[in-house]
Amino acid sequence: MVRATADRAFLPVKNLLEQVGDMMILTGKTVMSALRPPYPYGGEFVNQFLFALRLCWFPLVLSMVAVDYGAPGLQAGNFLVLFGAIDRLGGFFVLATIREFAPNVTAIIVAGVAGTAITADLGARKIREELDALQVLGVDPVKNLVVPRFLALMVITGLFDAFAIIAGLSGGVLASLSFKAPLGPFFATLLTNASTTDLWGSVVKCTMFGAIVAIVCCYKGMTASGGAEGVGRAVNSAVVIATTGVFAFNYVFTQTLLATHPEISVIK
Amino acid sequence: MGRILAAPRDWVASLGDIAQFSARVFYEVFGLRVFRFFGEALRQAGVLILGSTMVIWSLAFILGLQCGIEGAYFNRSVGAPAYAGVFSAWCDLREIMPYAFGYMMSAKVGTGLVAEIGAMRITDEIDALEVMGISSMTFLCATRLLAAFMVLPFMYLAAVGAGFFASYLAVVEQIGEVSSGGFFLIFWMFQNPPDLLYSLIKGMAMATMIVLVGTYYGYTAGGGPVGVGTATAKSMVLNVVGVHLIGMLGTQIFWGSDPRAPIGG
Repeated sequence: MVRATADRAFLPVKNLLEQVGDMMILTGKTVMSALRPPYPYGGEFVNQFLFALRLCWFPLVLSMVAVDYGAPGLQAGNFLVLFGAIDRLGGFFVLATIREFAPNVTAIIVAGVAGTAITADLGARKIREELDALQVLGVDPVKNLVVPRFLALMVITGLFDAFAIIAGLSGGVLASLSFKAPLGPFFATLLTNASTTDLWGSVVKCTMFGAIVAIVCCYKGMTASGGAEGVGRAVNSAVVIATTGVFAFNYVFTQTLLATHPEISVIK
Repeated sequence: MGRILAAPRDWVASLGDIAQFSARVFYEVFGLRVFRFFGEALRQAGVLILGSTMVIWSLAFILGLQCGIEGAYFNRSVGAPAYAGVFSAWCDLREIMPYAFGYMMSAKVGTGLVAEIGAMRITDEIDALEVMGISSMTFLCATRLLAAFMVLPFMYLAAVGAGFFASYLAVVEQIGEVSSGGFFLIFWMFQNPPDLLYSLIKGMAMATMIVLVGTYYGYTAGGGPVGVGTATAKSMVLNVVGVHLIGMLGTQIFWGSDPRAPIGG
């Protein structure tokens, strides 16, 4: 009885830890084979990059405008209007958009749109035994499939961050206009409060999110099994693990950044 | 010109299909025909509770921590660290908990539904149900929506609690610039029961959309095992965009013209 209960409680945990370990190993393998010559993955990298760009840009822009109009724009704007300080809304957008929402929403969109597509693609190849066939032919699946996807998602998530910030700020502009506030003070407080540290922190964070999403999604795709339901299950657990991993990493990163760079949280 | 318009036309067409499908599922649920399969609905509720509760709560917890530290640092920078409760109350209850719930619902429950029902569709189990004289729409889709309605409000309220607890941990125990009494004084002062109700409505609107989208993509999956994977990926795209749009609309409707703050004129 005790044994059965313990198994029921701890087997999922053990399973999860094993998977995390396997993902770490896959990360190490990916980085090593990305650096070590030869470099056959150029064409696939460009393909994956354009694929992710084509799929993600519209959901990303739409989501960022919506999120930043609602959460920081209306809520913080309402609060600031009570104090007659709606001009400080731009300063708040440094915290809200650049530091938090832009990287997080980008990661969610990339995980949900490009990441799921990658898992579905690799999972389909796995259960049709194409990956095994590649190995028989002497083609390394990590080098030829995982490395280009890893690099493409990392680069594109980092670059998307800039567009997410622009889209988010336009959501803020909309909110500012809905309070009938002039836009000059919005941009004035935004630009005086924004610092280079904020921007590189945001881009580095976002790039790391891309790496997490890519590794989780590739791993889940390459280990899909169980026929028809298997690929769907793989996509399901890939997106769950990627989301949780991204937000857990976000907490650690933001806490470290805020504690080690006190100058970025000084209101100017 | 035709090629440029092809993509938007496809979106509009599939949105129309989803709306039609949703109307049929709603009709099954609110026409009470679903209660013929109430046992199945209870079983689905059990699956939802055992399978998804912990991940949803843990995401709510992580994002509550995030709200807490941002609030603590922001309020320190404006010289009012004792007012970190305002930030936590508004950030947690009004914005981040609905988003956390929506993200994890679409990741865990939405894609799970597509994978499960899609596998039934391509192995012809749904046709087998119809042959046996059981309405597959009622048995598969309506029961799941009913299960979601039964379970998710409570799961959502507990997730809000997890977020509040996490914010408390981050602001009071971790950063520690405000006493727990001072934190809670401001924290409870800046929220009231209608806020919780509005937040719940936001979360449940997201959950309903996610269950409907998930069952639609599963029910209409095709093209073999690969098709199930593709349908799962597609449902996620629609879900994340929908979650953000519902979040924005909810904020605009509930708090857009009235900040509901205990200060000001």
